[in-house]
Parts: sequence; C-alpha cells; structure tokens
Amino acid sequence: MKQNEKDSILLEVGFRLLIPLIVVYAFYVLLHGEYSPGGGFQAGVLLGVAVILPRLLKSGKRLLTGFQAIMLAGCGTFFYLLIGLIPMFFGGKFLQYGVMPFFADPVENHPLGILLIEVGVTICVMATVVSIFDSLGKKKEDDTI
Amino acid sequence: MMHTILLAILFCCLIVLGICAISVRNLFEAIILFGAYSYFAVLSYLALSAPDVAFTEAVIGVVSTAYFVTAWKELKKRRPKQHE
Repeated sequence: MKQNEKDSILLEVGFRLLIPLIVVYAFYVLLHGEYSPGGGFQAGVLLGVAVILPRLLKSGKRLLTGFQAIMLAGCGTFFYLLIGLIPMFFGGKFLQYGVMPFFADPVENHPLGILLIEVGVTICVMATVVSIFDSLGKKKEDDTI
Repeated sequence: MMHTILLAILFCCLIVLGICAISVRNLFEAIILFGAYSYFAVLSYLALSAPDVAFTEAVIGVVSTAYFVTAWKELKKRRPKQHE
C-alpha cells in the first residue's frame, strides 16, 4: 500500500461524522439497557465498530493494536470476576448483589451490580471484536501478538 | 391476520435470501446477500416482538459484514485471479 494513496471523500467525511454518534449511542445502550433493549454485549459491539471503522480508512489511526486488545479483553473479564467476588466478602454468594455494601437497601444494589457487570462485558466484547478484526485483516508489524 | 401475512412474507424473504446467499458463485455477492438476510432476520424478530434479539442481530450483522469484507479483500490479494 502506498502512503500517498487517498480515500474517497465520502468515506472520510462519513466516518468522521459517524464515529462520535456511534460512541454516544453505545454508552446510551449500555446505561439505559435496564429499561430498553440493549446491554453490555450490544454496547461492546458498537464500541468495537467505532474502533474498527478508522482501520478501513487508509489514513486512519489504529487504536488498540494486537497485544493491547487482548490485554483489554482480559481486563474486562477480570473486572466481571472482581464485581462478582465482592458479595462473597460480605457473606453472600457469587454475583449475589443484594448484600453489596453500596446502598443500605438491597433492592437498590441490584441495578448497580448488574450495571457494573455489564461494563465488564462491554470492555471484553469491544476488545474481542477489534482483535478478531485484526486477525482477519491485513498484517502489519505491530499487529503480531 | 395482518400479522400472520407480514410474518409469512418475512419468512419467504428469509428463505429465498438464504438459498441465494449459499448458492451464488461470487463471494462478494454472497456477503451482500448475507447482509440482506440478516436485515430480514432483524425484521422478523421485531415482528415476533423480541426487540432485544433484534438489536443483537442488527449489531452482529454489521460487524460480521465488516469481517467478511475484510477477509474477502485479503483473499483477493492472495489469489487475484479467482474471486474478482
């Protein structure tokens, strides 16, 4: 691929307009997933799309290359595990949000626990989507894991 | 009654698009037909009042199309004579 090769103006402007909207919508889907369709997986895939769209451009930035993506996926899974383990320190079972110490009322702890779990799922899915895309696409030097 | 007719039309489109997507010879046409298949799957999930599944299917359709196009480009770069 040549360095001075240019993309079409349609792709450049379209991606530049789309990416902020996709990121905002992904956060909306994540935070509002309790009341409407959506949740961690969908938000994660939307964030992953926002990360892989610049890679389709020839002059785009490449966030989260190779090893970083794998590390981030592991961090998301670890965050899930950590949130799941918190109730076990307060006399509950794994993922039993009611005994979490954040609010006095156990009913208020449930949405918070589920939201934190979903954040972990989002991070893991986003990094996994980016990692799969990298392994399918063109290889560069910094992509080697 | 209207709902049943709508569902029947959607399922017919799904079956036809699925058969087209696996029987067409050109790879890029197969990718585009699979995108259309995924879109009709979204519509039929919505008609069956499962918006959560429909949302997931829409998102997965977008990402899998991006995956397939990338893999197709890589394949074309390796074997330029076939798959044009």
